[in-house]
Amino acid sequence: MLPFDMRPDAVMQELMAYGQKLSHGMKNLMEVGEISSGVTPKTVVHQEDKLTLYRFQNPNKDAVTSKTPLLIVYALVNRPYMTDIQENRSTVRALMDAGQDVYLVDWGYPDRADRYLTLDDYINGYLDRCVDVICERHRIKKINILGICQGGTFSLCYSALHPDKVKNLVTMVTPVDFQTPDNMLSHWVQQVDADLVVDTLGNVPGEMLNWTFLNLKPYQLMGQKYLGLLDTLDDPDALKNFLRMEKWIFDSPDQAGEAFRQFIKDFYQQNKLLKGGLEIGEPVSLKAITMPVLNVFAEQDHLVPPDASRAMRGKLGTKDYTELSFPGGHIGIYVSGKAQKTVPPAIGKWLDERD
Amino acid sequence: MGTTNNWMDGWLESQQKYWNAWADMAQRGMKAPEAPKNPLADGLNQWWQALSPMTPPVGREVFDRLMDVSKGYFSLAEQFMGGAKQGGGMDAVNGWLDGMQKMWSDWSQAGAAFRPDAFFPQNQFKGLTTFWDLPMDTWNRLAANVMPMPGDFTQAFHPEGAHAVKDQVNKFLSIPAVGYTREAQEQYQILAQRQMDYMGAMQAYQGAFAKLGIETTKQFQQSLQERAKEAKPISSLRELYDQWVEMSEAAYADFVMTEEYQTLYGRLVNTLLAVKQQMARMVDQTLEAMHMPTHAEISTLQCRQQELRRDNLKLHKEIKALQSQLEALRKTLLQGGTDEEAEEEPKPKRAAAAKPAATKRTPAAKSK
Repeated sequence: MLPFDMRPDAVMQELMAYGQKLSHGMKNLMEVGEISSGVTPKTVVHQEDKLTLYRFQNPNKDAVTSKTPLLIVYALVNRPYMTDIQENRSTVRALMDAGQDVYLVDWGYPDRADRYLTLDDYINGYLDRCVDVICERHRIKKINILGICQGGTFSLCYSALHPDKVKNLVTMVTPVDFQTPDNMLSHWVQQVDADLVVDTLGNVPGEMLNWTFLNLKPYQLMGQKYLGLLDTLDDPDALKNFLRMEKWIFDSPDQAGEAFRQFIKDFYQQNKLLKGGLEIGEPVSLKAITMPVLNVFAEQDHLVPPDASRAMRGKLGTKDYTELSFPGGHIGIYVSGKAQKTVPPAIGKWLDERD
Repeated sequence: MGTTNNWMDGWLESQQKYWNAWADMAQRGMKAPEAPKNPLADGLNQWWQALSPMTPPVGREVFDRLMDVSKGYFSLAEQFMGGAKQGGGMDAVNGWLDGMQKMWSDWSQAGAAFRPDAFFPQNQFKGLTTFWDLPMDTWNRLAANVMPMPGDFTQAFHPEGAHAVKDQVNKFLSIPAVGYTREAQEQYQILAQRQMDYMGAMQAYQGAFAKLGIETTKQFQQSLQERAKEAKPISSLRELYDQWVEMSEAAYADFVMTEEYQTLYGRLVNTLLAVKQQMARMVDQTLEAMHMPTHAEISTLQCRQQELRRDNLKLHKEIKALQSQLEALRKTLLQGGTDEEAEEEPKPKRAAAAKPAATKRTPAAKSK
């Protein structure tokens, strides 16, 4: 049997349909208008340099059932509005619906004046001051923290250095073992001279990270994905959703040089968080993490493989450790319909049980 | 908007005519006249060039990318249909894939830069390589981004040519600089040497991708044979494309997890940045000669400013803690309490970010 069953006239029809979709999609593109993101109302409660600390406004104040506020710590790469990208795809909103009082750290866009910001500045400086602000506002001594991706790694470090200020820790798609055999990013950077990168570029351009991430699956992410767009071009809402996601993917802040240097060398190249020897102002030991920990990871995560997160198990000082796996990818865990229905409610329930 | 609709309708109409004529000839069993190699893709390109200035900034990049992908997709259709016109069947498909494989092989042996359309200006796969060179395309964008000149200027060089005279160039660049301009000569020699290193790294990287192209084509061919055996033929162009992407992604994923790729990638990044670093050094020397602030000097100031800021924040925190202690002490004294009670108030904690991280380097140290 031949591997093809394609009649020329059918192919012609397929191409004609393609052309029509393209033409009609162009009309929708002309009328698409502004692409909004970050949809839940929020107020600024603290600002410092490029950093902004937000508190999300729950329209129904009685809906906040948790006594302890929850601080979301996002990664330095990409922007935190992924957690609140649109009305029906908002981890923030789903957490609020689960009774949480939600705060969010937005690291902003570092410029060249921020080139000498270190991980110590970020974790023991900025993050610690945000925690202090929240503690003062609520007249409490400890808060709950939810760290996402690199922000999860920061949260682990922070919790190890300041266990007296963290009541419960939730990590989402957070790498702990940076050298699992399936970690493509880690494999690539092993022979990259991080000192040369930072000494030469100062801050590391966001575009450099963008293209690195796209190269993880170049044929899908730069080719097939756009062909798939064709199927939704005639739906203005679907087109807007696609463009919103595109905006987020390519909205990558530059990385402060010194923080980037230490992250690549200590975490990716030397795996010090897991193996020991990490210093962020002071030595960081996972054994110092004694508060309850919920570790949420995505089973099809191509950026942070599940094993990179699961490595946390047995390495922490806490006796209250829980894992929650989600059958999806690194982004789907925030934006998919299934994730909206399962992940934030599960986090809310876990926190309530320890409130 | 009326103009836009006219363009769209015009393009659709031209596509309809083209395919109607083609179908008519096919039905009559006539031999189709010699046509342009990629009429659909070329038509699409012209249409987009005319229309793109009218598109709003929002989403333009997405549509640019969609058009690039579409051109490749149309080329795929044209190549495939070309095979079908010449008799169809597995022979035509194999001929098409063999041609593709030959292209990669020639490429790999020639050691040419990864520019299929430039290397084979008349080749039948023009446009189709959009599918293959995505990883290289991203690299070129990245290189352009970190260089002071627009675009990846190294694309203008021909590493295959440089390779032939590499030894002579290296000998020439090793000649000790002498005379009044000795230092400047040395800097240019270092720059030229680093450019040679980068071109060598780029050539090795591109060569590896050409081999990957051969491997992917083989795997694609095998996957088609397996589908034939399993009686699961490909029934649409989109299915063909998806199968191709799946095979390309799988072969790519295997390759980039090898030690070979890790070395190639590390070398490529490091040599590119070494060029950039030397350029920056030479620019600094020029600025210094003109009594203007250099990058290294500004970097030093930024470093010192950050250290001052850390000290400042540390002092703020300590003052706040002391004030708190003082207030507690005052209250205790007023209430006639004990020193121990006052001691219960928090003491100044470790100063946040009080010292630079262990890996931090001073700009002065690295600029020399």
